[in-house]
Parts: sequence; C-alpha cells; structure tokens
Amino acid sequence: MPVIIHADKCNGCHGSNNPPCIRMCPGDLLMKDSKTGKILMRDPAECWDCLPCVKVCPQEAIEFRLSYQLGFHTARLIPHIHDTRDFITWELIDTKGGIDKFTIRTKILPIELDEKVEGVAAVDFSI
Amino acid sequence: MEQNIIETDILIIGGGTAGCLAAVEVRERFPNLRVTIMEKAHIDRSGCLAGGMNAINAYLNPGETPESFVKYVRFDSCGLIREDLVLSMSELFEYCVKKVEKWGLPILCDEKGNYIPRGRWNIKINGESLKPIIAKAAKNAGTKVLNWVVASNYLVVDGRVAGAVGFSVRNGNMFVVKAKATIIATGGAAGVYKPNNAHDAQHKTWYCPYNTGAGYAMGIRAGAEMTSFEMRYIGLRVKDTIAPTGTIALGVGAPQINSKGEKFMATKYAHIGGDGAPTPYRSHGPLQEIKEGRGPVYLDTRHITSQQARDLKSAFLDMYPSMVLYWAANEIDPSKEPVEVQTTEPYIVGGHTQSGYWVDVNRKTTLDGLYAAGDVAGGAPYKFVSGCWAEGVIAAKQAGEYAQKNDFAEIQASLVHEEQDRAFAPLLSFTNKKDGIKAYDMEVRLQKIMEEYAGGAATYYEVNEERLLVARRRLATLPDQFKHIIAEDLHELMKAHEVIDRVYVAQTLVEHMLYRKETRWPGYCTRTDYTERNDEKWLNFVNSRRDPDTGDIEMLTRPYVQIVPGDRYKPR
Ligand SMILES: Cc1cc2nc3c(=O)[nH]c(=O)nc-3n(C[C@H](O)[C@H](O)[C@H](O)COP(=O)(O)OP(=O)(O)OC[C@H]3O[C@@H](n4cnc5c(N)ncnc54)[C@H](O)[C@@H]3O)c2cc1C
Ligand code: SF4
Ligand code: SF4
Repeated sequence: MPVIIHADKCNGCHGSNNPPCIRMCPGDLLMKDSKTGKILMRDPAECWDCLPCVKVCPQEAIEFRLSYQLGFHTARLIPHIHDTRDFITWELIDTKGGIDKFTIRTKILPIELDEKVEGVAAVDFSI
Repeated sequence: MEQNIIETDILIIGGGTAGCLAAVEVRERFPNLRVTIMEKAHIDRSGCLAGGMNAINAYLNPGETPESFVKYVRFDSCGLIREDLVLSMSELFEYCVKKVEKWGLPILCDEKGNYIPRGRWNIKINGESLKPIIAKAAKNAGTKVLNWVVASNYLVVDGRVAGAVGFSVRNGNMFVVKAKATIIATGGAAGVYKPNNAHDAQHKTWYCPYNTGAGYAMGIRAGAEMTSFEMRYIGLRVKDTIAPTGTIALGVGAPQINSKGEKFMATKYAHIGGDGAPTPYRSHGPLQEIKEGRGPVYLDTRHITSQQARDLKSAFLDMYPSMVLYWAANEIDPSKEPVEVQTTEPYIVGGHTQSGYWVDVNRKTTLDGLYAAGDVAGGAPYKFVSGCWAEGVIAAKQAGEYAQKNDFAEIQASLVHEEQDRAFAPLLSFTNKKDGIKAYDMEVRLQKIMEEYAGGAATYYEVNEERLLVARRRLATLPDQFKHIIAEDLHELMKAHEVIDRVYVAQTLVEHMLYRKETRWPGYCTRTDYTERNDEKWLNFVNSRRDPDTGDIEMLTRPYVQIVPGDRYKPR
C-alpha cells in the first residue's frame, strides 16, 4: 500500500506542472492527472517507503502506510514540518490509537511549488 | 522524439552522494569547466540518500588514522582490499564532512562541540535532509542538471568514453551529452536477486531499488574491467522492514542471540571478534543458527531503557522511518523484546563490499576518459556516505585535469543512432506488436534464476560449480529475449532498461563466483565445493572484462598489494 494520496487534501499545488511531490520521488512514481489536476500513484508495489513525498507536501495530502503484510491497520506515522523548517515532529499512532511524538532537528530547505525542467515542456508531466 | 545535444566539459552520470560532491569539486577547482549531471530521478531526493541518513559511517574518530582505518577495513573484508584506494579515501573524510556540515548538515556534538562518536568510525547526524543539502550545493556551484534523464550507454570513440546517451522519462527526448571527461556515479545494484518481500512490498528493500546497476552495465557493455563482483553484499537487517541494524547494534550495543537465547557470535566466533567479527561473518553466523534449527535470530535489546528505545526510534526516523511505524503496527517495544533480524537479498554494492569498476588511485577506470566514484567503483569497501563523497572529490580532480588537456572527440551519427534504436526498442515493440514480455516478467525470471542457482536466500546463499553453471546457461538466453520486451510508456521504458542492465550485472557476477575457487567471505559467497579460504592461491582480485564485440567474458586476476603493515586478519 505504501503511500496513499488524499485527493480531498491535494490542491495540485495551485496548478503546478511539476509539484514538489513529483520531484521528490526517487522512483518516478507520482504523476499528475491532467483531468483533475491531482496526484496519482503509479504503482504502490514500486514504492520504497522512503517518504520524501510525504514530508514535502505542503497540504499533508500524502499519507504513508505500511503494506498490510508488514503491519496492522490503523497504525500511522505523520511528519509535521515546523514553520521554522529546522524541526520535524513525527506523530506516531499505534494500532490501539495511542499517540507518541518525536521532535527531531533537521534543516529543511525552502521549496518552490513549481520548477522548470531542462529540455522538457510543462505539458509532459501529465498523463 | 527529439534529440537534445549538449556539450559539457565534465559529465557526471548519477547525481547522488558521490555525484553531487564531484560536481561541486570540479566547479571549485576548475571554474572554467562546465559540469552537467545526468540523473534518472531528481537530484533533490534521488538514490540511497532519499530517505535520509542518521550517521556518517566512515569517519576517523579521535585516535584513529588512515592506517588504522585500513587495518580495520582489511580485517572486515577478510584480508583483501585495495589499500591504496582505502587510504586515499580516508584521508578525505574530514574534508568532506566539514564541507557538508558547512552547507547545513546538523551533526550531533557534545558540550565541547566535538562530534559524538558511535563506535570507532561513525558519527551521528540529523541527516533527514542530507540529500537536498548536497543537491543544493551542486546546483549553487553552477552545475547544469538534467533531471529525469536515464543514462543508457556511453559514447565510446576509439576506446575513449566521450560522453553518454540517455532518454527523458518526462517526454521521451533523447539526450546526447558529449563530454571531455565522464564520471560514473550511479550507485550499486538492487533487484538482481529475489527481494526479501513480495507483492506490494517487493520494493521494501534495504538498498535503493532504483539503483539497478546501470553504471556497472554500461561499463560491462563497453569493455571496462570490473572487480570483485563475487563479494556480494548480504547484510544483516531488521526482519520485514530490511532496515539497517547498525543503528541498533552500534547505537545501544545489542548482541545477536538465537531462539535459545544463546549469544552465538560471542561464543562461536570469539576468535574473530564475536559480535565485532567481520561483517560477512555477522551474516554467516545467524544463517548457520537458522539452518541448524535455532532460528529465529535476534538482536538482544532487552537491556535498554525506554529512553534509549525512544532515541533508537528517533535515529530511525532520520533514515528509515518505516521501522518506527512497523514497531507501532506490530506492537513491538524494542526495550521489552529482542528485535528479530534476517539477511537481505544479495546486492552488488561497491561501497559496502568492493564490487565495481577496477580503478587506479585517481579513480580512473580502464576506459580512457572515464572515472568512477561511490558504490559503482570497486576495490574499496566500507565507503558509505563519506567514502563516496571522498571518491567523488578524487574523481573530480582527475577528470578535471583530463578535460583541461583533451578536446571533445568526434562522434559519428551512426553511433548515436545505434543507441537510439537500442534504447527505444521496447516502446516500438509495443506499438508494433503489442504482444511481448514486460520488464516485470523478465525481472522475475532473472530473480528466479539467480535465487535458485546463483546463491539466493533459499539456498542460504551457498553456491557450487554445478549450480552456477545452470545459472550461466539460463542467463545466456536472456539477452536474446531483450527484443521481446515491450514498454507502454516512458516509465516502463526505464523499467525495461533497469532489467536489461541487471542481466549484464548478473552474467558478470556468475562468472566471478565461478572463478574464485575458495570461500573468502562466508555469508557473502560460500562455495560448498571450496569451503576454505586459500591465501596461497586466492589472495588476489578476481577481475573480468567483457569483449564488446563477441560478448565473451574474460576472467583475470590482479595481485593484492599490502601497504599498511600488520596481521591482515586483525582489526588493529
Ligand atoms: C537505506 C540505506 C541507509 C544507509 N545508511 C547509511 C548511513 O546512515 N551512513 C552511511 O554512511 N551510509 C549509509 N548508507 C550507505 C550510503 O548511503 C551509500 O553507500 C551511498 O549513499 C552511495 O552513494 P552513491 O553516490 O554511490 O549512490 P547514490 O547516492 O545512490 O547515487 C546514485 C545516483 O545515480 C542515479 N542513477 C542510477 N541509475 C541511473 C541512470 N541509469 N541514469 C542516471 N542516473 C542514474 C540514482 O538515481 C542516484 O541519484 C545507507 C544506504 C542505504 C541504502
Ligand atoms: S505536493 Fe501535495 S498538494 Fe502539492 S500536488 Fe503533491 S500531493 Fe498535491
Ligand atoms: S515513499 Fe518514496 S518511493 Fe514511495 S512514492 Fe513517496 S517518494 Fe516515491
């Protein structure tokens, strides 16, 4: 199952052709649906569970799930990036609903909602 | 489909750990040179560092020297390494770490401002954003970045690498990059063997599943000399998530125990360091316990405090967040129960073991104009992040000097057309025939052959001559099948080349395993027909070279040279 995209939360980064989630996936797994402007996952079986897409989404629209074969429903792990960008608070919810939080130092660089690609026109990002 | 033709002084293929540092180094040393990175994903989060890192695993903590590092790495690799390479990279750890710290990487320090050591060679970092940090430095240095361009082959002119060709997974354009010098930095190879997990968790691997041996395969096809593929990397990892165990073993000191609670490493392998035995033995030991009916095997964490368990989770969140969710989703508390471990699928990773390009101390490969750095380069195990950086720096210096002295080579249009036909064939096959094999089908076929005949997990990674010969024969059919591969879109085209590249890696690997008639690295490559280590005959490197015209793989050995005196089987 690896990551799921909550279409209700994804705003397409305001019409961005090349939004951060697409850019951050090392496996080229996320793509934009040209009809809805929202993000689709190409194939969950190709996902490495590495989470850059989850951490970068300004809307927290991408949620990380373990494959069911590896972990029980409805445990969850949600990263919240602090506005100062130098901390992440990870919210960990176990199968019984117990919540734990971990705040860790980091250095998150500012990110543009869109980016041009060398040699590629904007329309090439949609399916 | 259009062609984008680009001229650059230095082409770096793979904008990962080694590639980003190489780009910065070229621009700082040779501001007149133009640098281009060709990267299959986006350099902000590509390759091994995508999820983050929590430690720099190769660093000289107080009291250690390049020589003491060589002694340790030599011991850890069972007495056989390229000491010249390991020395030269360790001399640059400090330079690289300080540089990346300056770019913004948070490194954990004590009250006095000293880095906090984790064992002899590690320091702890908050490296969740390590990749974007080094990518930004590469961009700021003035590098031209071609994101989403999958390198498919070198442009070889009279034995010289004169650039490379790739295709964009965004619009299918072909990128022809002509370069005076080229640095290959595409990392290692995952997915050559059956992965540990299946179905929707098949990519829940330890090594980056998108590093599929492209750099090795491009070199193999062009006739570069490769070394030590038989030293496969089979790591001890946390069961199911395949998360690194160093965070636990080094972080809180957790010995391996079997199902009877016996500390088998401490007792059976005391003579070679117990739980500190060379890395291959730390996989071999637990495999024997499981084979003999004393599994599961665990890292015993029951002594740790709940605060230590929290710290452990924090460390994983910086590098491998799914580990923490796994514990929560399975109601596991590592301070109350031991952590179950397993061994990984065999990876080819020159930064953990030493499979890869045969290079000289300047990281020059046997092909003129081509330099190698990071997991793709051979001879120097124990590189990890910092060793890959160091190799990027060394390769940059040498490639820069080469580019100052040599002009562009003349590239015939036919050379480009030939590669264009090869690269795009799976798309055409789909359009023309529809019927054929998908990359995934060939991947599974390859993995099945390797798993069953070339020492996969199902046979405790053991090999013998007869099995390997079956593997050789089955693999030999696959290249003839490439013409049947179909790709419906550009993502599938990338997948097609990933599996094609892995077939070349697998063929070379099988020849290497057949050739080394000893067991130097139990656990990594145990030969049931030659069970002992044999220094008299095999204290040398097994190398290979594929003839680009005939496809025949020629095997040869290169001598081991001891530079740092001392007992090769002792860690100090
Ligand atoms: C999960 C994990 C955790 C680790 N933890 C640590 C740690 O805590 N500390 C430590 O020191 N080391 C750690 N390591 C090891 C370390 O990360 C690697 O050894 C190192 O990052 C490898 O660097 P590299 O430059 O060779 O490869 P990478 O950084 O992976 O770079 C290779 C690049 O090449 C690109 N590429 C691949 N194929 C192509 C192609 N055909 N065309 C164009 N581009 C291509 C990839 O997308 C990638 O960007 C870890 C490794 C893993 C997998
Ligand atoms: S980053 Fe988030 S909001 Fe933006 S397009 Fe991607 S999923 Fe949608
Ligand atoms: S978790 Fe990693 S591999 Fe999976 S979609 Fe997100 S970025 Fe891509």
